[in-house]
Amino acid sequence: MTRSIRSLAIAVLGGLLAIAVWLTYQQAIAAPGYADDPRNARADRPPVDDARGRIVTADGVVVAEDHPEGGRRHLGGSAYTHLVGHDDLGVLGSWGLEATRRHDLASRDDGSISAWLTELFGGDLGPPDVRITVLDRVQREAAHALGAQRGAVVALDPRTGAVIAAVSSPSFDVDDVATGALTDEVVAADPSHPDLDRTSDVVYPPGSTFKVVIAGAAIDVLGETPSSTYDDATSVEIGGLSIANPGRRPCGSSATVTLADALAGSCNTVFAELALQLGAHRVVEAAATAGFDAVPRWELGAARSSLTDVDELAADPFALALTGIGERDVRTTPLHLALVAGAVANDGVAMQPYVVGSVVSPDDEAIETTRPEPWSTMMPAETAEALTDMMVGVVEAGTGRAAQLPGTTVAGKTGTAEGGGGPHAWFIGFAPADDPSIAIAVLVEGGGRLGEDGTGGSVAAPIAARVMAAWLEIAS
Amino acid sequence: MTRRAETALLVAAALIASGGTAIVSATADDRITLDVVAAGFANLIASGGLALAAHRWAPAARRLLLPPVAFLAAIGGIEVFRIDRDLGRLQRWWLLLAAALAAVLLWVLRNRGVEVLARFRYLLLVASIGLLLLPLLPASSPLGGATVNGSRLWVRLDLGERSLSLQPGEAAKLLLVVFLASYLAERRDALVSLPRSVGPLSIPEPRQLVPLLLAFVASFGVLVYQRDLGASLLLFGVFVTMLYAATARRTYLLAGGVLAAAGAIAAARAFDHVRTRIDAWLRPFDDFAGNGYQAAQGVFALAEGGLTGTGLGNGAPYLIPAAATDYVFVAIAEETGLAGAVAVLAAFGLVVAAGFGIALRARDPFRALLAAGLTLVLAIQTLLILAGVLRLMPLTGITLPFVSYGGSSLLANLLAIAVLVRISHEERT
Repeated sequence: MTRSIRSLAIAVLGGLLAIAVWLTYQQAIAAPGYADDPRNARADRPPVDDARGRIVTADGVVVAEDHPEGGRRHLGGSAYTHLVGHDDLGVLGSWGLEATRRHDLASRDDGSISAWLTELFGGDLGPPDVRITVLDRVQREAAHALGAQRGAVVALDPRTGAVIAAVSSPSFDVDDVATGALTDEVVAADPSHPDLDRTSDVVYPPGSTFKVVIAGAAIDVLGETPSSTYDDATSVEIGGLSIANPGRRPCGSSATVTLADALAGSCNTVFAELALQLGAHRVVEAAATAGFDAVPRWELGAARSSLTDVDELAADPFALALTGIGERDVRTTPLHLALVAGAVANDGVAMQPYVVGSVVSPDDEAIETTRPEPWSTMMPAETAEALTDMMVGVVEAGTGRAAQLPGTTVAGKTGTAEGGGGPHAWFIGFAPADDPSIAIAVLVEGGGRLGEDGTGGSVAAPIAARVMAAWLEIAS
Repeated sequence: MTRRAETALLVAAALIASGGTAIVSATADDRITLDVVAAGFANLIASGGLALAAHRWAPAARRLLLPPVAFLAAIGGIEVFRIDRDLGRLQRWWLLLAAALAAVLLWVLRNRGVEVLARFRYLLLVASIGLLLLPLLPASSPLGGATVNGSRLWVRLDLGERSLSLQPGEAAKLLLVVFLASYLAERRDALVSLPRSVGPLSIPEPRQLVPLLLAFVASFGVLVYQRDLGASLLLFGVFVTMLYAATARRTYLLAGGVLAAAGAIAAARAFDHVRTRIDAWLRPFDDFAGNGYQAAQGVFALAEGGLTGTGLGNGAPYLIPAAATDYVFVAIAEETGLAGAVAVLAAFGLVVAAGFGIALRARDPFRALLAAGLTLVLAIQTLLILAGVLRLMPLTGITLPFVSYGGSSLLANLLAIAVLVRISHEERT
């Protein structure tokens, strides 16, 4: 009997030991996997205090922090309203990094024993800082350059996708609303919609900037080269309707024009014909390759770029021709066009855009670091190279001359799309053309300060030049 | 262990009870109440009273048992109080009452020892069966059965305006162990000799298997009529392991295992309440909002606890249904982490090891089997509920001895400890 009781004792103690081992696995190894489960109500355990971290730019400027007397203050002012945002501002709600990074900005001390131990061993669980990739100098330059005009500037590093500037205008100061100098209702009711984020939330017709996509498809699919030639007509008739060049002028001085010159002079006739040659399916496919059926994963969320349905385009040559010059139903955001410009600059690969470089604890320990990731390969490297050369031509001798910078070769493309109360003026581009470190998209609604007479070249290109110059001054 | 060491450990357990209650009140309620004092005193009076009773009526007993039991009662008391203040206060009274009755039992056994129990073994068997059947009484009678959480193992005693709910099965299992210890000690020889053999395996005569089959039928009956998986497994498990302890014949373990497996498969096919338990065990997240909710919350609680826990009063164990009873161990693991949970496991290890130690040193087969049987009751309960809440097997609604909320359970388990103490005393006299 001694033997049997002894083996029962061993079995029971072995059972307890097995439970201890299993419990160790559950609590020590499997545990982190359950913390992010959306059904896990425990994951939302509030921190011990409601102190929040700062939002700091890449050049060390604090744009948002806790006010010493309570509440939050936004030192970045109206240049950062759409990017940094606010976590709960009356009828305007929550938006921007303050909302998307609510969890990261909160104190990590949840009052637990492990938090206490971490602090005991020198860790700092105070509210972390969110470090953004935006450069305050460039951001401010972009806001100044836009001035009172309605529009947006998105600039990013084409090699990484790190956003250098993202400004939407008109804007307002969130702290004015918080202090009562301005009311949330007034902002919400303003007809110029300062609450809209024009960088990524609103879609516009891209106009001639879309010719970059069509030119890329012509090279890729039709085997055209920058020196391929076309009839230099002032207008083309399609199904009884006509598409004309700006000012009904020819693009060049002779009877034919090269693809490079057609892009430089933004010839509508050539690109309308190219769209017809490509056909509806290949135009839609080219647009899809350039991201027109996808939404980039963007910190603040982005609107979807789109164009007319392929069957409708196949049945309507005029609509197809208009699509070729970025009109009709082609719609996109400044963010997306900055990515397209970035893809041309980065051997055809558009990088995933990001604005939060890292989340850093008060004792300078990185909690989260963003690694650059490719988003989409929009074209082969050779096509990107050919497009770069042609876009350099746009700025050197074409419609984009206002984007020239002393000592730096700039590549770009202007766009002047139909809009209410004046055309939407666009400029997309990058610099330096041989080793790009900034890609940019500038949009000015309604022709900006020039109104009906505004064009991409006259209104948007100078803004792009100022922003790129501000960046190159710091970067070099 | 010296008496001085025992006293120090019991005081330490009471201080843990007070300290833990203080932390809970401070973090969860932001104020420290008299509960802090009451928790410590209740623990100290219960364990100290029992230690004094043992000193007087079982002076030669080993002193290994009470300190871990007092520790478990302290931890359980803190966590039950943390989950539900009222249940926590009630649990203190149950602890005092159970300790008082355990002391009374030591007094009853003071002259004749546990021998007295063997004398009434058939009476105890009848009483045990009667207690098991008690919950099946019609609910309308003054001492009526009651169904709680789908299981009919409660009896409600109507006392005018109020009523008292009791689980007679808790007492029945003790009486059954006493009967089995006495019966098996006497019939050991008949059960040990297995005349036939097939290969390496000895085969008992058919009539030798009759008691095993009877126990199986009784256990299965509990499952069918009272819908209680835990009590059913516990009864059968205790029977089979005691049979093995008495005979040292693995054949019985094997036969018991086969019967249990067959019964489990049959039950899973036949009964919905068993099948939902199995689904919740294997795939808790498939039916998160329904059957799997409790198990899934248990998983989340363990994950939240991690190595060091959220701290007492800082977790959310109340999110788990039945946190104070079935899931109390998971609640402890959430708030005190792996560290605290392993301390609880270690305390159970001490209780079980001390119990088996008493069995091994017992004077005669009856006492050895009684000590082993009582220890097995505690051990099997512990393993069943821990494996259930940690998803190593389907959950069986059963209490964690000394830790879970529950008066009947606390009472029965402390009485078992009292008998173990007495057997330990008798080994030397």
